[in-house]
Amino acid sequence: MAQELRSINLVAPAFKGVNTEDSPLAQDPSFAEIADNAVIDKRGRIAARKGHTVVTTTKTVLGTDSLRAIKEFKDNAGNTKIFSVGNNKIISGTTTLVDETPGSYTITADNWKLVDFNDKIYFFQRGYQPLVYDNAGGSVITLSSVSGAAGVTSAMYGNEVLAAYGRLWTADVTGDKSTVYWSDLLIGHDWSGGTSGSIDISKVWPDGYDEIVALAAHNGLLIIFGKHSIVAYQGAEAPATMSLADTVAGVGCVDRDTVQYTGTDVLFLSHTGLKSFGRTIQEKSLPISSLSGNITKDIIAALQNETEFFRSVYSPEEGFYLLTFTGQDVTYCFDVRGTLENGSYRVTRWPSTKFTAYTRLDDGTLYVGTVNGISTYTGYSDNGSGYRFKYYSPSLTFGDSARIKILKKLKPTLVGANNSVVFMKWAYDFDTTYATTEFTVGTQITGYYGESEYTTVEFTGGQLTNQRSLNTTGYGTSVQVGLESEIDGSPLSLQEINVMALIGKLL
Amino acid sequence: MSNGVSDFFQDIYGGLKQVGSALSPAIPAVVGGLLTNEAYDRLSKIGEQSILGTTVDGVRVPGAMEIAERGQAESQFKPFTVTTPTGAMFTARMGGQPMVSPMPVTSPGGFSPAAPPSMVLPPIEGGVSPLISSGLRQLKSRGDQLLEDLPQMMQTDPALKARYDSLLQDAIRSYDASPIIPEGGARFAAEQDAMQQLKRSIMDQERLGIAPGEALPTGPFVHTSYMPKPTLMEPQPTTGGLEVGMTLSPQEQAMQQQLFGGAGDFFGQAQMPTTAREQAIFERMRAAQRPEEERQRLALEERLAAQGRLGTRSAAYGGATPEQLAMATAQEEARTRSMLGAMQQAQAEQMQQAGLGQQFLGASYLPQAQLLAAAQPAQRMAELQQQAQLYGTGLFGETAMSGLESRLLAEQARANLLGGIGSNILAGMFTPALAKDGTVINAGGFDLGGLFGGVTEGLGDIIRILNPFDD
Repeated sequence: MAQELRSINLVAPAFKGVNTEDSPLAQDPSFAEIADNAVIDKRGRIAARKGHTVVTTTKTVLGTDSLRAIKEFKDNAGNTKIFSVGNNKIISGTTTLVDETPGSYTITADNWKLVDFNDKIYFFQRGYQPLVYDNAGGSVITLSSVSGAAGVTSAMYGNEVLAAYGRLWTADVTGDKSTVYWSDLLIGHDWSGGTSGSIDISKVWPDGYDEIVALAAHNGLLIIFGKHSIVAYQGAEAPATMSLADTVAGVGCVDRDTVQYTGTDVLFLSHTGLKSFGRTIQEKSLPISSLSGNITKDIIAALQNETEFFRSVYSPEEGFYLLTFTGQDVTYCFDVRGTLENGSYRVTRWPSTKFTAYTRLDDGTLYVGTVNGISTYTGYSDNGSGYRFKYYSPSLTFGDSARIKILKKLKPTLVGANNSVVFMKWAYDFDTTYATTEFTVGTQITGYYGESEYTTVEFTGGQLTNQRSLNTTGYGTSVQVGLESEIDGSPLSLQEINVMALIGKLL
Repeated sequence: MSNGVSDFFQDIYGGLKQVGSALSPAIPAVVGGLLTNEAYDRLSKIGEQSILGTTVDGVRVPGAMEIAERGQAESQFKPFTVTTPTGAMFTARMGGQPMVSPMPVTSPGGFSPAAPPSMVLPPIEGGVSPLISSGLRQLKSRGDQLLEDLPQMMQTDPALKARYDSLLQDAIRSYDASPIIPEGGARFAAEQDAMQQLKRSIMDQERLGIAPGEALPTGPFVHTSYMPKPTLMEPQPTTGGLEVGMTLSPQEQAMQQQLFGGAGDFFGQAQMPTTAREQAIFERMRAAQRPEEERQRLALEERLAAQGRLGTRSAAYGGATPEQLAMATAQEEARTRSMLGAMQQAQAEQMQQAGLGQQFLGASYLPQAQLLAAAQPAQRMAELQQQAQLYGTGLFGETAMSGLESRLLAEQARANLLGGIGSNILAGMFTPALAKDGTVINAGGFDLGGLFGGVTEGLGDIIRILNPFDD
């Protein structure tokens, strides 16, 4: 007697993102084993990320190098200017990159950090005299060249700089990894007069020794990130009297460029993954969360393998926090709109993007730095080239891992994917050799009401949905299904996958 | 032969008679002159005897000098000693006077003062100023020296010897003419007088800068200088001034020395620069402050460490935290206060040392002051004794001098009598003799031509008689 097909509906598959930490058999089908070049879209579906569109047309000064940092300078008068660094130069502009490096100022590294402070933009890098630009001067100059500059010595040539509480703060100086220096109030070029000062926290580290990596201002606190510990000072508005508020041992920050503010949290990458300091206004405490609990091992592996540097960006418009390991050309996209039950963000992975710098403009535009210069995060192609969207489910047992499952049909429901070729894949019993079937999504041109091509009686909605039924073969106790598609101009969202299987005998 | 002899003798007699006739009118004149001279000599002798004294009927009558010397000797200061119950002793005597043995006093501690006078005042010579006294001493010394040297000097200086001989002859004549025989004989007294006069003459020459061979000047202004200086002007026989000795008992001396030493120590400390003391006081104050400062520093360090602010350096607070700056300021203020306090304390101690020194010094003189206080009643007793002594001396002197004056008056009367007789004789000789009828029997006067002619003629007759062959 023929058995009834068992339907397993994977509704909004992978909307919890990738989970490589839990056992595949025990996983919620809402996780994904692989979610490459994907994001969680506004409806909670896994979808293809956006691509980038190169803005730069003339990038002579950049040569073959990539942009390593981008920063938008804005002053109170409304003047704006985009600065970037790369090819050992200070660069300005978006379409045409202009070398702004001061004369007789030699740069051999591009690990600059740019901060906007009091109508000026400052450039800090370890071992280099800080640079400064303001609209009145119109050029990037060394900090000591500023009229009234004081105390600009190699003792404060820090690698980290923070503009907060009315001052510039710097740390991570060559030969001095435990001292934080602050400038005079509202005067970023005075480091020895007024209320400028410093604090040596070598005796404060909770576990005896550490090195300052990054600084952050959060929740009324000055947070000093060490490599494996964190100290937070309260009352940083008056640095001379600020006092220790909290210390965290065992958690530090890997790189200053992983620190991002999300409004409610400060995100940073530690050696054990992405962490955040929460914001509790009343308690003034610093609840710390682990936000990459589902990919901890992957993050740690990436950290260990990283040979270049880290870049990150927070985009409230996109609702994600991007963390790029430039040496490995991999980016993790953390959806910051909510956390899962275990407190982790939903995370997807963007491999081979070649993104090397980010910045978010005030208007929400996300600038991406690549070898081509400055791009905007927009569209669904990487500067005209496609990229592969991948989704693989965890191994599914349909609630009974002891019985054989015989896949009969796969019914994916896709949103968008105009004219895209979609590959449906499945495999049994953790096999990495997938059976594949493909189909091409038809033209998914949207017909808008009142436009010339369509009449008032012939129009479509905003996004077209495509649902297919694909026959499958084989059997096994656990089943893994996947979907891949080349994204090249059109978005793609995976609404659901309905898996039709026949439950067999006990093994 | 007999006629011849008789004639011879008659001739001689006739010659003698002629001489006698020539001399007879001059005898009253000679007698009158001798009497007048005797009166003069007696008056001179009386003057000398009133000064030097004489012997009357085997009784030595002292002269004014002897009376003065005796009065001086008897009016000399009588030494006395005051001994206090605590054993201190006050002794007053003139230099050269023997020490007066104190009355045996047994002090409470069983000690007897035996120390010599501890204080001697400069000599004061009976109302004579020290300058005059010094000059007199020099004159006396020179005079004594001359008296010693004159015999030798006369051997080498004939002129001096001649002056001495002249003075001696004058003195001999004076004594020979005097009815008063000086003690030791007229010759001895004449020699002493001649030596004294020669000495005075030489000293006057020396004083006036006149060479020994030259004559002394004469005149009313210098005449007195040649007057024999009364021996009253000679220095008193004492060899030194008034010696006032104050001796403390051994306990008092020990206490006095202890107090003196303490005063010296205190004054010495008061004179020391205060810098070192200021530093020492400052160090002591800082030593007292340091523990608390260290506790506060440690407490602040702990607070800062707890607040994670040990390494804070703020330009606005001198490169430190406000608390560190406040503490440093407070400590610096404390240091400043300590420094000022140390200075004040050192100065106060300096004042204290000076005050203690004064107290000790004053206290060290307390035994002496008490001794002087104790000596005051005794000094009053000594003054009373001295007054009685002076009164007796004055009474003796006045009595003796009244005898002398009586004798002087008597001698003056006798001299006047002799002088009057001589004068009358001389006056009679030169007064014309009148008869009752007023006829001049004798014109008076003294015919020297007749005298010498008669004498010469008589003597010529005698010589011719005795030398008949001369013709």
